[in-house]
Amino acid sequence: MKTKFKNLNQLPIGTRIVTIISLIWASIVSLTPIVWLFISSLKKDPLARPGFQLPESIYLEGYISTFRDLNVMQYFGNSMFISIVSVVISIVMISMSAYVVARMEFWGKKLVNLMLATTLFIPATALTYPVYNLINRLGIYNTRTALILIYACSGIAVSFFVIKNYYEHVPKELEDAARIDGCGYMQTFWHIIFPVARPGIMTAAVLAFLNNWNEYYWASLVIIDREKLTVPALLSTFTTSFRTNYNGLFSAMVIIILPPILLYCIFNKFFIEALSGGAVKG
Amino acid sequence: MTTVKQKNHTTVSKQEWRRRGFIIAFLAPTLLAFCIFYLYPLLTVFFTSFCKWDYTNITNPQFWGFADMFNNYKYIFTTYPYFWEALLNSTFWALLGIFFQIPLATIIALAFSRKIKGIKLIRNIYIIPCMISSAALGMIFLQLYSPLYGIINPIIQIFNPEFSGNILLQKGTAFWAMTGAYIFFTGTTTLMILGNIMAVPEEIREAAMLDGASGLKQDFLITIPMIKNTLKTVSILAATSGFLLYNEVFFLTRGAAGTYSISYVIRELAINSPRSQFGRANTVAFIQIIAGMLIILFVNVVYEIPSLCKKLRRN
Amino acid sequence: MKKLVALILAASMAMGMVACGGNTTPTESGSPNTQNTSAESKNEETKGEQQVLEFYHGYYHAESEWPAAKVMRDIYDEFAKQHADGPVAFKPIPVEKRDEIVSAKVAGGSFPDIVDMGIALPQSAISQKLILDLKPYIDANNLKDAVGLNYTQNNIDGAIYTVHDQIETRGLWVNTEVLKTAGVSVEDLSTWKGFVDSMAKVTEKKNGNYGYASGQGSLKMLYAYLGSTEDGRKLLSSEISADVINSETFANAFKTIARMDQVNGSEYATPDVGNLMADFNQNGKVAVLSNGVWNASGIDEKFAEAIQPIIFPENVSMATAGTGLTVAANMSKEKTDLALEFIKYMTSEEVQTKIFLGVQANPCNTTLDLNALAEQSGDPIVKKLALACSLCNKAQTVVSDVSYKWGADVGNAITNALMECANANTNIDARFEQLQKELTALIG
Repeated sequence: MKTKFKNLNQLPIGTRIVTIISLIWASIVSLTPIVWLFISSLKKDPLARPGFQLPESIYLEGYISTFRDLNVMQYFGNSMFISIVSVVISIVMISMSAYVVARMEFWGKKLVNLMLATTLFIPATALTYPVYNLINRLGIYNTRTALILIYACSGIAVSFFVIKNYYEHVPKELEDAARIDGCGYMQTFWHIIFPVARPGIMTAAVLAFLNNWNEYYWASLVIIDREKLTVPALLSTFTTSFRTNYNGLFSAMVIIILPPILLYCIFNKFFIEALSGGAVKG
Repeated sequence: MTTVKQKNHTTVSKQEWRRRGFIIAFLAPTLLAFCIFYLYPLLTVFFTSFCKWDYTNITNPQFWGFADMFNNYKYIFTTYPYFWEALLNSTFWALLGIFFQIPLATIIALAFSRKIKGIKLIRNIYIIPCMISSAALGMIFLQLYSPLYGIINPIIQIFNPEFSGNILLQKGTAFWAMTGAYIFFTGTTTLMILGNIMAVPEEIREAAMLDGASGLKQDFLITIPMIKNTLKTVSILAATSGFLLYNEVFFLTRGAAGTYSISYVIRELAINSPRSQFGRANTVAFIQIIAGMLIILFVNVVYEIPSLCKKLRRN
Repeated sequence: MKKLVALILAASMAMGMVACGGNTTPTESGSPNTQNTSAESKNEETKGEQQVLEFYHGYYHAESEWPAAKVMRDIYDEFAKQHADGPVAFKPIPVEKRDEIVSAKVAGGSFPDIVDMGIALPQSAISQKLILDLKPYIDANNLKDAVGLNYTQNNIDGAIYTVHDQIETRGLWVNTEVLKTAGVSVEDLSTWKGFVDSMAKVTEKKNGNYGYASGQGSLKMLYAYLGSTEDGRKLLSSEISADVINSETFANAFKTIARMDQVNGSEYATPDVGNLMADFNQNGKVAVLSNGVWNASGIDEKFAEAIQPIIFPENVSMATAGTGLTVAANMSKEKTDLALEFIKYMTSEEVQTKIFLGVQANPCNTTLDLNALAEQSGDPIVKKLALACSLCNKAQTVVSDVSYKWGADVGNAITNALMECANANTNIDARFEQLQKELTALIG
């Protein structure tokens, strides 16, 4: 591990320059919106002191009122529960089908690929009415179950492509060895392939989680009780028909991204570092 | 394949059945999800694109008849004022995804793969903008671009003191302003590429070192070809999200100054029009699906070019 | 340092866990439960014990963000309380995207029990006969004055499908200080020529002040401009058609407003006037704001003197009943009765007074004496609101916001064209020709 990646000053000069420029660029690009958002959330009137000017005095009313008046914890709880359950369902489902498509030959494989690819491009407006009716017919309108069902089914194409790509990296020999050892298909998948592809599956899970965390179109359509809604509902309450409370709005935006950031910091070991550990050897 | 199976019918069949059972069992949940969620809309989009379907017959779409079956298409292609603009913009955003976002993400991922103090911090920060929803980012950029409160106009005025006005309302600048509001945030893409770069086995890198390749040269000769499949996957995803851009259009311009996108047109037709033009919206939706398939095909072709060249050279 | 970070992480995670844990337990058992309850409620309906009349409205905001939302919710709850023991329970539900829900339902051939609509009525709901005609009830109960403008404006081929308890009344708000600095008086704004010149004078000063927020606001001005001539009024009262689009009157109105927008500058053009509202209400940088009478409650105290309501040039104001309370057809008799009674309740003098004083909107009931109410309350904001309302109500010409009739797509196309014209280098004539083509295609 220690010797794997060389120190910066051991790299050729051209590489060093490109690396440093890239890192500076990456920092600027990502920090600009974050810092701006954070500074603005501390200003009493973000429009009166625009841009990156520091606030005259730190004004926390946006944060306070968000926590005081808006049941943030309830929204967090709902979002966590709905996002996590639906991610687990969809990722399990997709890791199974992606494996079959990536590693086995069967009739109709191209069709499966094509079908899943089309789902990327079906617009939400075309999905709205059929799905809305389905939810009503199942009798789960205005329940978290409805949202879990929708999230588990939507976005399957992205997870599918990401996970399938990782399976394709798993060396064939691993599988063959397992088969020779007498593992069945199930065992091979569960004990050999799944652990090896786990970092890729985790990556897909992160993507799916972020999507579900921020999703609001479906949430606002199938859930009408506010106590069942998810975090993006926090944002809309700051815009009324005659004014937008920017201080509150920006504070809520900061609050909304905190849990994903925390989760990411805690779990990022499991994908980046797990990958660099070299689980996949070719 | 089938002939082989038939020859060893008696010996293979049991195992073959098990194999088939496994395939079916593993595919079933996903296919079920597809069928309950996407199949009906997909078929509806296709069939109703040949139907008169608007506020006059909302529960009962009517086929135009074989003579006029392309009526909606004719309207969209020749009469609807925003279609070509939207298709052009969306296609361009898709291409930018493939040819700008992915190279950018790759270079940053390569930089992130070096061992430098503090690199983990930058890595973690770089993904944060991707955690902000595109709706929220749209609102943030509306502020950043605001000629009154934003930071863009002062920057432009450094180079062109005469400049005033709203960059979101001028043809040309509006398109690029909108592009700038999303294109640099490649956090998740970079993360996927980085994961793959890290997984390239050390032995291979060392072998390259012996050949005298190091740094970027090593990366381009060894690492990039090894992660080609991942690059292809993320290219498809980047092109897709560029092609489907919606929230940026909604929050920044609502289509003013030549910034319509295909997704926005669909919503405009189906929801914003009091005439509920579902038939025409689904026509655009069907075009969107076909165009999407072509984009995926295009990405596949692009990534086959290097190996094709190699083959040609060998011959 | 690292320890501290770890500690914070751990603490916040624990908090998250508590929040999750606290919520998952009821949810896990909750999903079957909710199914049970929905099944139960169905049973109830069939048994006829107590039916539920669900009412979707858009006042979901926290009281601290928008006190008016609480006032409206209280009004609804009061009605629910009055009928708690009746055969039908009234259940008001704050819903954010009620318009989306309505269109999803309509596409499936149903309609919410009763809903306070925010967008134009879907014509498909009318053609499917999903909505109840309220006119017989209004006539039978002599509510003509109580529903006010709704009675005429929302009359579609002899039927009234929707009653809005508040009238969207628009004039202009002016900052007299800003005008004075530019050497303009309020009287100068009483003709369109004077208005255009005055706006130019304000912007010419280049002291950081500007005339008005164009874009969304310009669209209203365009309609008001049409309202100032006989030909224009004729356009406003007709459906949008090729004749309207290609008329000289429409061209003239568009170009006048577009030229004014161009002088005003593209910095101040916005598709959502909310983006620049603070400049007028809190920062005092803008001469004129094109917004409804309800803006009275948004004005910062320090401009209480300077900011005054006026009406559009040439004695024009804009009053739109728009869409509001809409009732589903084909409900049980008991539910329909309660829904109709709710409409009577909402337009009653008592509730309308609350709407005027608490929500600070123009009530639809024409029997109220707004100025007297305002005097009674002694609240300066309400007085200003009353002044704005009475100015608008007394205007020589009252036009309606035709975006409701012509459609959001038409309104959006015109707004986009106006916003592009705000750029100094846009050729207005060429852009108008393009707009004509766009509009012709949109309605085709």
